[in-house]
Amino acid sequence: MTIITVCGGKGGTGKSTIAVNIAVLLSSLSSKKKVLLVDLDVDNPCTYTLLDMTLRESSEIASFKPEISSNKCTLCGECVNYCPTHALVLLPNKLLYISTLCEGCAACLYVCPYRAISEGSKVIGWIKEAKGKKLDLIVGEVRPGERKSEEVMERTLKYALMKVADYEYVILDAPPGTGRGIYEALKIADIVLLVTEPTKLGLHDLKRMYQLVNRLDKPRLLVINKYGLKGGIYDELEDFINQNEIPSIKIPYDRYLLNAYIQGNVLIEVYPDAPSTKALIKLTEKIKEIIQERA
Amino acid sequence: MRYEIVVASGKGGTGKTFIASNLAYFLNNFVDNVLAIDADVEAPDLLIALGDMKKIIYKSAYYGSEVPIVDYKRCIRCWRCKEACKFDAIFKGDKGPIIDYDRCEGLGVCSLVCPSGAIRFKPRKTGEIIVGYSTYDIPVITGELELGGRNSGRLVYELKKRAYELTSKLNASYIVVDAAPGIGCPVVSSLAGADIVVVVVEPSPQSVKGARRLINLANELNVTPLLILNKYDLYPGYSEKIPHLLNIKTLGRISYSEIVVNAYTSMVPVLKLSIDSEISQELIACFNKLLEELK
Repeated sequence: MTIITVCGGKGGTGKSTIAVNIAVLLSSLSSKKKVLLVDLDVDNPCTYTLLDMTLRESSEIASFKPEISSNKCTLCGECVNYCPTHALVLLPNKLLYISTLCEGCAACLYVCPYRAISEGSKVIGWIKEAKGKKLDLIVGEVRPGERKSEEVMERTLKYALMKVADYEYVILDAPPGTGRGIYEALKIADIVLLVTEPTKLGLHDLKRMYQLVNRLDKPRLLVINKYGLKGGIYDELEDFINQNEIPSIKIPYDRYLLNAYIQGNVLIEVYPDAPSTKALIKLTEKIKEIIQERA
Repeated sequence: MRYEIVVASGKGGTGKTFIASNLAYFLNNFVDNVLAIDADVEAPDLLIALGDMKKIIYKSAYYGSEVPIVDYKRCIRCWRCKEACKFDAIFKGDKGPIIDYDRCEGLGVCSLVCPSGAIRFKPRKTGEIIVGYSTYDIPVITGELELGGRNSGRLVYELKKRAYELTSKLNASYIVVDAAPGIGCPVVSSLAGADIVVVVVEPSPQSVKGARRLINLANELNVTPLLILNKYDLYPGYSEKIPHLLNIKTLGRISYSEIVVNAYTSMVPVLKLSIDSEISQELIACFNKLLEELK
């Protein structure tokens, strides 16, 4: 079993596009076991729409919420004073709970002198699944308005990790950014794919991401998506590649890549002969080479 | 009167930084004083779009969290801290609790429940805040979260707090916030207290899906969502449907242009680089409509 983490720093560089396409390619190559794709972009998971797979809910992700008994509450304000995220507010005749500010630490439960707060729970997100012939999907989704993306991401990852042994390849599609949840997805990777685009913003965020990847000793592969985009910063990108000696693959920015993207389709399925598809096949072969070198 | 305008998008790479940088440039040059905030603290790019930081006013470390320190001499190994921690960040060690600092949210419940005063807290650096003027004399506040860090939303909250303190000093009438992709914690912090959120959508199902989630969040937080349709000519047939699909007021549409990539490469806002271009005129039309909405 090999875990491949797809990350990149900047949004919209093509992480999900790359993750979905290599998942489909690897599933057509793998003989006995299936491929698992894990969508960790819990704010806006898109892999299942690209793959046209129907999700079913597997489990709710819950977090602590104070259950306030108005009979016992004397409006003393102890919980309000202590709440580190200001999720409790004292009104003249009521204790107000603001769910979107609560991080679920339960301090209020311990400081209330009248035991007016008990342990409740609220749903902060969901883990959903879809099963295909050769490709299975696990998707994490945060409940809109909850400040719990990182936790939902980590819980989705934990859930997926219990199942990875059944698969030959596991692909983790990380969200944009360089935060904690992404670092967790990097730690367990066997191979890291860094997806970028040839723009100044893409390179800037890639450099931040690369520093994070460098904390770990993992084989890595740079995927330059949208290669050929006019006005791009090709020299700077080459310098970065040479300085860091990163193996890289270029995905040409042809109209097929763009069409598949705006129509929400899987490139290699709708345009099997496109230059961009051929580059993705090359990328998949390179991933297999890295795996063989490790073995 | 001070207006706070957030530029956000549910999905990454739709053109938030492009719109935010030009909006800040437009307001500052043609309307009134602006303060721009880069609230994408995991991948901060606004300064690339606005020209570099010309003059730094101040730079400071941000201590956004606290870490527990255990005094093992005082610890009586009652394990109440372990039971109370909602984030599974405490493990049993021979001498007492061992803290997993990667999991710790720093909210202080372990210290609160400890009967022997064995756990105290010390501040932890979670990022950096930089305030200064960009090359085009726009005051900018940027934040950068430590790589692999947590709680980007708290840093965004802090950036906004500093922005409010600065607006009167700078006599700023507009705050423009370049938000992170998604709908997570940093975006909730960006939206809280804002007047308007400009929802930047490109013609792809993934982008519309992300925008829908963002609009729901904006409604929940009482922030008025207004649509800008970016790169609309990539898929005109679908673009036409988007205002109906999202059912919010539209400020206008902007065509796809290579000038955007060039502008980033040369680190000059599009409006500065080529004010007569079609795309600049489209931007100005959108911004004028936005000003009408604020009246």
